[in-house]
Amino acid sequence: MKSEIKGSQAFSYVEVELAPDEVIVTESDAMSSMDADIELKARLNGGLFKGLLRKYLGGESLFVNHFSNPTNTPKKMTIVQGTPGEICHRKLDDEVYYLQPGAFIACSPGITLGLEFAGLVSFISREGLFRLKMSGSGDLYFGAYGALLEREVDGEYIVDSSHLVAYEPGIKLKLQLAGGIFSSLFGGEGLVTRVEGKGKIIIQSRSITGLAGWLNPKF
Amino acid sequence: MKIELVNRPGNTAAKVTLAAGETCTAEAGAMIAMSGHMNITTTTHKKGAGGIFKAAKRMLSGESFFLNHFDPKDKEGELWLGSSLAGDMLALTLDNENLIVQSGSFLASEESVDMDMGWQGFKSLLSGESMFWLNLKGRGQVVLSSFGAIYPIEVDGDYIVDTGHIVAFNETLDFTITKAGSSWLQSFLGGEGLVCKFSGKGTVWCQSHNANSFGHALTPKLRKA
Repeated sequence: MKSEIKGSQAFSYVEVELAPDEVIVTESDAMSSMDADIELKARLNGGLFKGLLRKYLGGESLFVNHFSNPTNTPKKMTIVQGTPGEICHRKLDDEVYYLQPGAFIACSPGITLGLEFAGLVSFISREGLFRLKMSGSGDLYFGAYGALLEREVDGEYIVDSSHLVAYEPGIKLKLQLAGGIFSSLFGGEGLVTRVEGKGKIIIQSRSITGLAGWLNPKF
Repeated sequence: MKIELVNRPGNTAAKVTLAAGETCTAEAGAMIAMSGHMNITTTTHKKGAGGIFKAAKRMLSGESFFLNHFDPKDKEGELWLGSSLAGDMLALTLDNENLIVQSGSFLASEESVDMDMGWQGFKSLLSGESMFWLNLKGRGQVVLSSFGAIYPIEVDGDYIVDTGHIVAFNETLDFTITKAGSSWLQSFLGGEGLVCKFSGKGTVWCQSHNANSFGHALTPKLRKA
């Protein structure tokens, strides 16, 4: 699958070229434009029950779209995310990768979307009660509001709540106060997420919750 | 009139340099800075040819009732334009051709470009865009703005653009409201719903982001008024 991420970090979008018979799986409503010959099939996101779980607990949609190219020439399409921000590409090679709810955009059909209980810690730190488990081999596209920063963790690392986007399976989440009681309550950091283990994590530079918190007093 | 776009595509601003005697027409509220000697005239339509009816139509289409005309009088002046949403801008030069613009995307044009509201039929109601579209014609430069990055698609045959992503297109193209893929059910289940299918030969400019989608992500977190 040929693809290119364009539009800078502020407004990333993915240009995909589907070869004949190639398929790409996308989040609901992720297509912004495509060649009229491309075929679309909506599939339940892994069975009705699992799909419903994913919709109400994983922040994803009940259906995912399978776009395929039934012709014998390459066809182009464009995939976007709902919020302004950066999109990242990652190649999975028979491995597992965790995404935060809502971060999934598209993947090749060799990757399975699963939902996993992320633990109470994740819920309290506003990272969601569930996480998306991507497993298999192929191309994965994910994104978030803001730019994405990659950090190599070996040991401990602290991330502000609702800023974690994705992490490798070697990473565990823990909850803690940002500093002492005083700085946690008055320093604007509140609860933070402590990640532990060895692997790479992806952080988003902005959060929708933060934007809403700034907008709310203005109404 | 010289147009320079800076800080693309995140927070684009347009720097318009006007020579003596030139006039730039801009959407009300678009000016962010200008030379001190710049003269502003506010009218309801083309300079010197106001029309309440045309202005009312423009208001229906999501544009403002008034347009501002900037002229630097007898010496050169500059004018900075911005849009309210973060995003890219597009500067195009029309050469006696017609450009159809999603009406919220219009930012500014040269005086020689004529502007009118176009009625694209009831399909516009379903397109996720406003009912009326701006029809720009004549010769001269125009500046359009968008939410997100702008990318052009050269259409030769059929091409599908999701509703809410159209910025502008050549009049040589026609669009119909249809489904994505070959089945209505699949298109609705997949969240794509209605899409616009362009046919003919020409260019359609799309915006990478859809203000409504961003609104849906943000609204649940806002306090109820």
